Amino acid sequence: MLSIHTHEEHTHHILRIQGEIDASNSVQLDESIRSLADNGAKSILVDGSDLEYISSAGLGVFMSYLEDFQEQGVSLKIFALDPKVFEVFKILGLDQLISIFPTKEEAIQEV
Amino acid sequence: MIKLPSIHIGKLSFLLAILVWLALLFVDLTRLFGAINDLNSGIAPEFTWILEILFFITVYGFYNYAINKDARNDFLSLIWRAASTGMFASAIFLLVQLFYILLGESRLADEPFLRNFFYHVHFALVTIFLISSAILWKNLILYQKSKQVVKQWQTYEFALLLAMFFIFFNKNTFDYSFIFGLVILTGLGIVLSGNLKWIPYLTFKEKWKSLLFLFFILLSGSYLFYQTSQFSNAQQTYPINLLDNLFLISLFLFILIYALFSFLVTLFNLPTSSVFEQKLTEAINFQRLSQSIQPEESEEQVLDILIDSCMSAAYADAAWMEMHRLETGTELIQERWINEETRNELSEKISGMKAASQWETETKPDNLSPLALRLDHPKFESILIIPLVVNKSVIGRLVLCKEVKDGFNKEMINIISTFTRQASIAVENHRLLNQAIQNERYQEELKIAQRVQKSLLPVKLDHNESFEICAYSNAADEVGGDYYDTFQLDENRFVLIIGDVSGKGTSAAFHMSQMKGIFQSLIQLDLGASEFMNRANSALSRCLERNHFITASIFIIDTSNHTFLHARAGHVPTLMWEKSKNKADFLGVDGLGLGILRNMQYEKHVEEKVFSFESGDILLLFTDGIVEAKNQKSQQFGFERVRSLVEVYHHLSPREIQTKLIDSLHDFVEGDGMIDDDYSLMVVKFN
Repeated sequence: MLSIHTHEEHTHHILRIQGEIDASNSVQLDESIRSLADNGAKSILVDGSDLEYISSAGLGVFMSYLEDFQEQGVSLKIFALDPKVFEVFKILGLDQLISIFPTKEEAIQEV
Repeated sequence: MIKLPSIHIGKLSFLLAILVWLALLFVDLTRLFGAINDLNSGIAPEFTWILEILFFITVYGFYNYAINKDARNDFLSLIWRAASTGMFASAIFLLVQLFYILLGESRLADEPFLRNFFYHVHFALVTIFLISSAILWKNLILYQKSKQVVKQWQTYEFALLLAMFFIFFNKNTFDYSFIFGLVILTGLGIVLSGNLKWIPYLTFKEKWKSLLFLFFILLSGSYLFYQTSQFSNAQQTYPINLLDNLFLISLFLFILIYALFSFLVTLFNLPTSSVFEQKLTEAINFQRLSQSIQPEESEEQVLDILIDSCMSAAYADAAWMEMHRLETGTELIQERWINEETRNELSEKISGMKAASQWETETKPDNLSPLALRLDHPKFESILIIPLVVNKSVIGRLVLCKEVKDGFNKEMINIISTFTRQASIAVENHRLLNQAIQNERYQEELKIAQRVQKSLLPVKLDHNESFEICAYSNAADEVGGDYYDTFQLDENRFVLIIGDVSGKGTSAAFHMSQMKGIFQSLIQLDLGASEFMNRANSALSRCLERNHFITASIFIIDTSNHTFLHARAGHVPTLMWEKSKNKADFLGVDGLGLGILRNMQYEKHVEEKVFSFESGDILLLFTDGIVEAKNQKSQQFGFERVRSLVEVYHHLSPREIQTKLIDSLHDFVEGDGMIDDDYSLMVVKFN
C-alpha cells in the first residue's frame, strides 16, 4: 500500500510518502514527482518518516531525476528516513547524490 | 483347410424362394392332374401348406436382407419401393386378364393347368408385395424407436408367425376361429398404424410425392385384394386354396390400413408442413451456431450465421448488424437487403425513440432483451433490436426490419434471443480460445527465455585448490535479473562477480544479458576492481533505461599471496567470516550503483580495497533478494540472520552452508513461492 500527499510550505513542496514502494506502485511516485517538477517546483522535500520499504524500482525513480534536476536547478531532499530504509539508500550509494537529512528543519536550513 | 464359401443370405433366400415356389407349383399341378383324371395322387394338403409357409419365410428372409442392406433408406424411396412392387404385381395381373379376354371362348381359356399356373403366379406376386411392404412399413413404424413400439412390433410379428401355421389348425375353412384371428391381427395392425412419426420430417414437396406413391399403393393393393377375393369365389377351378390364408389376409389389411393412415395424415399435415420445416431449420441453425467455435473460424462467420438464422426465424425483410469498437466507434459488420441511406434513416428514427434510448443506457447488459419497436417509415413499419452481449458487455446490436406493423411475435423473439445468446457464447468462446492459445505461446516463449537465461550462468565455477566455491540463483518470475560469474586471469588469480539488475522479470533479464556481455569483455582486460566498475558504468550507462540501474560486487582473488581486491558498486555488502576473529562482518567499501551517474563523475564514487584472507575464511556474496525477503508478518530476513547463520555453520563446506542458508530462508518466508524477488548467492571457502 502506498499513499502520497503533497503540500506547500513557503517555497518548499513537501512530498509525504506513506507505505511501501515497489515495482507495482513506483509509477505513482514517479507521477507525483513529475507533476511537482512540471508545476515549477524548485525545492522538493520528501518526507520519508512513514516510508516502510523501498525496492530497487523505487530507488530507480529518485535516480532518474538526478541529472534532470541538476540541470534545472531543482533541489530534491529527503528527510526523516527510517534507519532501515536509509540503509538501502546508503548501500546503493544514493546518499552521496541525494541530500538526506534526519529532520525536516535540517533539510530546510541546508541551502 | 477347407475353405467354406461365404453364404450370401440374400441370394440364397432368393434362390430358395424360387425353388419352393416351383415345388409348390409342381405339387399342386400334380394334385390337379390326379383330380382331373380321377386318380388319387396321394398328396396330402399339409404338404402344400408346408411349402406355402416355407415360401413366406424365404421371401421374408430375402426382403428383410435386401431392404435393411440398402443404406439409402429415406422415406420416399421406401414408399416408392412398396408402390412399385404393388404396381408391378397389378400390371402382371392385368396382362393375364387381358390375355384371357383375348382368348375369349377358346379351349385354352378353360385349360385348368394354365389357370392354376397363373393362380400360383398371382399368389407369389401378392406374397411378395405384402411381405416386402410389411418390411418397409416396419422401417417407417420403427423410425423413432421406443421400447413400447418395438415390443408392439415384435408382438405383431409373432402373431403373424402364428397365423402362418393357423392353416394346420382350421384346415382352410372360413370359420369363427379365422374371424377371431383376423380381428386380433387387424387390431394389432391398427395400433401399429398409429406410428407415423416419419411424416413430419418430409418436406412439402416430399409430402406431395409420398401422397402420390401411397395412392398407388392403395390402388394396387385394393386391386390385388379384389382379385384375391375373385379367386376365392371361383374355388372349384383350383384344387387348393392358397390365398384364403389368415397370414395373407391380415397382412393385406395391415398394408392397406397403414397406407390409408399415412395417406390421410400426410394430406392433413400438408398445411402445417412449413411450420415444422421452419423449426427444423431453426434447430439446424442453432447447431451451426454452436459448432462455429473453431479457432480458425473468425467471429464474422459466427455473426454471418446469426444474422441469417435470425432473419429466417423472423421472416425479416431486411437486417443489419453493428459492432461497437473502441478505436473506431460503431462499425457495420453485415447488411442484408438494405442500403446505407435507408439504414441511416432508420438509425435516426430509432435513436429518436424514448424506449430505444432507455434501452441503450441499460447498465446491466445481462438484463437486456430484444426490443421490438413500431416505426413511422414508408418502407419498414416494425423493427427488432437485439443486443449482442459478450462477457457482460454489449459488443454490438442486430437490427431486423419488417415491412408489416408489429411483425415480431413472442415465439420469434424467443428463438432470436436464443440464437443471439448462442452466438454470443460462440464469440466469447472463440475469444477465450484465442486468448488461451496466445497465452500458451507466451508461456512457451518464456520457457525458452528461461532456458536461455539459465545458460548465461556458469555451470563450472573457476577455482583452484586454494578455495572451494558454489553458487545458486533463483528468479521470482520465469526469468530474472541476477547474475554471477567467475574468470581465471592466470594461475593464481581469479575474478568473482555478482550482479543484480533493478526490478525483475523480462526487462531485468534483458539487462542481465547486457551486463554479462559487458562484464565478460571487461573481465579479460585484467583491470583493477574500481577501474572495472568505472568502465562497466560507462558501458552500461549507454544501454540501460533511464530508471534502471545495476548493482555489482567484484573480487579479484590472488591465491599466491592470500589477498583479494574488492570493489562494490551499490551492491549489498559481502559477508566475510574470519576464522582468526571467530566472527563474520560485512565488508565496508563504498561504491555507487552502475548506471546511476552516467558521466565521468562516477569514478569519484567508487573505491577499492585489498583484504587478506586465511585458511578457513568464508566469503558470502549474495543479492538483496535474500535480505529483503519478507515473511507473513512483513519482517525482512535481514543482514543479521545471514550473519548469524554463517557464524553457526562456518565449519561446513560451501555447498552445505549454501543449503542451510536457502533452507532457512524458505522456512522464514514459509514456502519457496513467497519470495517475490530474484535471489542469488555465492559461497567461497578458503583452504
